[in-house]
Amino acid sequence: MEYAIETFSLTKIFSDWWGRSRVIAVDDLNLKVRPNEVYGFLGPNGSGKTTTLKMLLGLLHPTKGKAIVLGGDATDPQINRRIGFLPEESYLYKYLTARETLDFYGQLFKLPAKVRRMRIEALLDMVGLKAVANRTIGTFSKGMARRIGLAQALINDPELLILDEPTTGLDPIGTRQIKDLILELAKRGKTILLCSHLLADVEDVCSRIAILYGGKIQAEGDVSELLRHSDKTEILTGRLSPAAIEKIKQTLAEEHAEYTIGSPIDKLETFFINIVARAQQQAVPTSGAESKTQISNFLSAGTNDRANREALLNQLVSASDERPAVPDTQQVKSQPAPLSPADENLLKELTEQADSKPVVTQPTQTKPAPAQSDQPNKSVLDELTGRSGADTKNAHPGDSANA
Amino acid sequence: MRSIWAVAVNMIKQALRLKIAAVFIVLLLVLLPVMGLTMTGDGTVKGRMQAFVSYGMSLTAFLLAMLTIFTTTYSLTSDVKDKQVYTVLTKPIRRFQFVLGKLLGVVILDAGLLVLFSVIIYGITIFLPKVLHTDEAQMAQIRDEFFTARMSVKPENPDISQELEQAYKKLKQNGEVPAGVDENPAARHNYMNELGRRIGLRRRAAAVGEELLLEFNNVKPKDPNQSLFVRFKYDVAVNPQDLSIYSKWVVGDVRQLRLAANFDTPIYSLERKDVIRTFREFSVPADAVAGDGYLAVAFLNVPLNDTAVIFPFEDGLELLYKADTFTANFIRAVLLIFVRLIFLASLAVFAGSFLSFPVAILLCMAIFTMANMSGFIGESFDVVGGNVSSVYTWFLQPILSLLPHFDKFDSSQFLVPGRLLSWSLLAWIGFSTLCLRALFLVILSLLIFTYREIAKVIV
Repeated sequence: MEYAIETFSLTKIFSDWWGRSRVIAVDDLNLKVRPNEVYGFLGPNGSGKTTTLKMLLGLLHPTKGKAIVLGGDATDPQINRRIGFLPEESYLYKYLTARETLDFYGQLFKLPAKVRRMRIEALLDMVGLKAVANRTIGTFSKGMARRIGLAQALINDPELLILDEPTTGLDPIGTRQIKDLILELAKRGKTILLCSHLLADVEDVCSRIAILYGGKIQAEGDVSELLRHSDKTEILTGRLSPAAIEKIKQTLAEEHAEYTIGSPIDKLETFFINIVARAQQQAVPTSGAESKTQISNFLSAGTNDRANREALLNQLVSASDERPAVPDTQQVKSQPAPLSPADENLLKELTEQADSKPVVTQPTQTKPAPAQSDQPNKSVLDELTGRSGADTKNAHPGDSANA
Repeated sequence: MRSIWAVAVNMIKQALRLKIAAVFIVLLLVLLPVMGLTMTGDGTVKGRMQAFVSYGMSLTAFLLAMLTIFTTTYSLTSDVKDKQVYTVLTKPIRRFQFVLGKLLGVVILDAGLLVLFSVIIYGITIFLPKVLHTDEAQMAQIRDEFFTARMSVKPENPDISQELEQAYKKLKQNGEVPAGVDENPAARHNYMNELGRRIGLRRRAAAVGEELLLEFNNVKPKDPNQSLFVRFKYDVAVNPQDLSIYSKWVVGDVRQLRLAANFDTPIYSLERKDVIRTFREFSVPADAVAGDGYLAVAFLNVPLNDTAVIFPFEDGLELLYKADTFTANFIRAVLLIFVRLIFLASLAVFAGSFLSFPVAILLCMAIFTMANMSGFIGESFDVVGGNVSSVYTWFLQPILSLLPHFDKFDSSQFLVPGRLLSWSLLAWIGFSTLCLRALFLVILSLLIFTYREIAKVIV
């Protein structure tokens, strides 16, 4: 399979009641997304991004052309069991609880009950909604619903993840977590099609982008190449003495180069995350989604040890070339039915932890990732995926190592 | 199957948690016991029970029908409108499985609620005579006429084709046939039907002093010691002063009188006085039936009356005898309601597969209403003449015949008079309603939903 997604002259013309062509939403689009790349699909509002996604997924019929996803038709259950999709808004059943929602989607993938249960707990933990797992989605804020939307897209451990505006409604920390998650998933061999008009998001995570306007691709290529100014040079150093600066100025004057010298300014995102992290260390009360649960915590870069982060994600998400997207029955059978005493202890710890967690309306005491409580998650996830990372402490004998 | 089941369970949760079902459940839970206590009927205990069963079953059937239509159309259309289908249909589930899941969900919900309310109605009906301290005579009557399932036999329809042709010829000779009837096949068809109806009615009427003989075949009571019930309703040309008719009845194998042979079976005779336009019953021992299942019922319009008496075609006179138990009949009556609910669920799935919620509801309600009054609609077009009648015969009638006829077979029409609803009749109703009509709607909805565009183009 050369391309994960490939379209041939994909066209969608919107007709009126009398069948007269009115709007060309997508015009002769030839999109090629390679396996294992994060592909950014950019464009202003109404440029045809979402329409293209809907055609890829079979929710709309193309007026002309064809779309091939993972080598076939995305409406074929054999194909779409390997796809995860997050629409532009989390269209979920408001009367279901977070846990029931994930269970419902898990059942559509025919995941065995035990695997389903474990994946659900792991995903709830990952998106920071474990404490509110039994609340109905109707009572969730937009950001919380978005997190559950993301969790449902990951329930089948998809090879291809199609994300439509994944960060809308999320706070900067949530945004950062999703971006980190995308990068981590890409590292594990997943293909990600990210559709967005938030340029900062795309710039941070995408390896290749296409800019869509009027239903046509206006520019396509590697982000680094498209954005690089090869006629300029940038030097970043530590703090310099005034004498050193003078010397550099002299050198630049000899080169007849135009230059500016000053101190770099932080991105607002980084600044915001630092402030919130400080508030959380001081245990300021909050309600809503927790951004500091064990797995979500490791997704916030720089605050946790990297080995733990990777180990946990390894267990939740497997590389596509090593394991089928959906755990088959054989795999399930190969897992030991009763948990080992060590795992039971860990599970107990997990449960106790969840029980002792205050509900969201009460002040939440959160600490940045104690290493001790990382372990339970890892072992539960080991059970879940039947495999472990090279850097995981609770690896089962016989499990294959991952990337 | 697992995907279908997941969608079905989700649909039941939706109905219960969004409180659509709760409204109907609470309404029935309150109304049924209240009806049991307050219904009076004709004042007798039997009348009270008949009124309760009739209204209780009708109310349950009606409210569950509403619940089915609302829940199904809402569930399907809101999933499309609120775009939950985007996340569901991009998972490994075929669209037909999604629609079948919705159908299965509502059918399970209906089955559960129907069992609950049937048990309540059955329980109240059984305990009502005990609560009301009914005496033994009344109890015996209730056992014979209500807590039973009686086979109904209608009189043989005599062949009137010759008489009809003669009547038509006579009218034509006299120039009394309206102009245009012979040219227009539809008009002629209607004219002949009307003429046939009049001739038929003449054979169900008795002038003052006249005798009317109605013959029954295939009367097969299980036990000659049981009772036969003659159930009748008088219609009259002119209302008598006390709204009652005096009559003399003879029941038995009257062929024996003509042959003047020895009587193998007894012939019973009795005199009565009954109010008009009300169902009345009297019983005779079942040994009156001849060995070949023949029985005649003769009615004499005694000269004391001063009006002709007519027994209406549909329900003017019938013979009833015990063939099964009340409980078995009650279960079949409940299944009859269930068949109706499955049809409505299929109809709602069909409407929801391509229409928006309000339009789908409107379509379902229109069809539900038409199915409930199909007889009335048919009759109302019968009286219209000329071109309108042709439109009805060739266009509306075929459409109406596609609808199920809810008014033709209603559960209370079997339970109230203790009339047998046989398994074969139930199977036939089930086949014609489900296998022909509902299946057609479901297949159509699956095709529409599979090939329609689920999303809207938004640019």
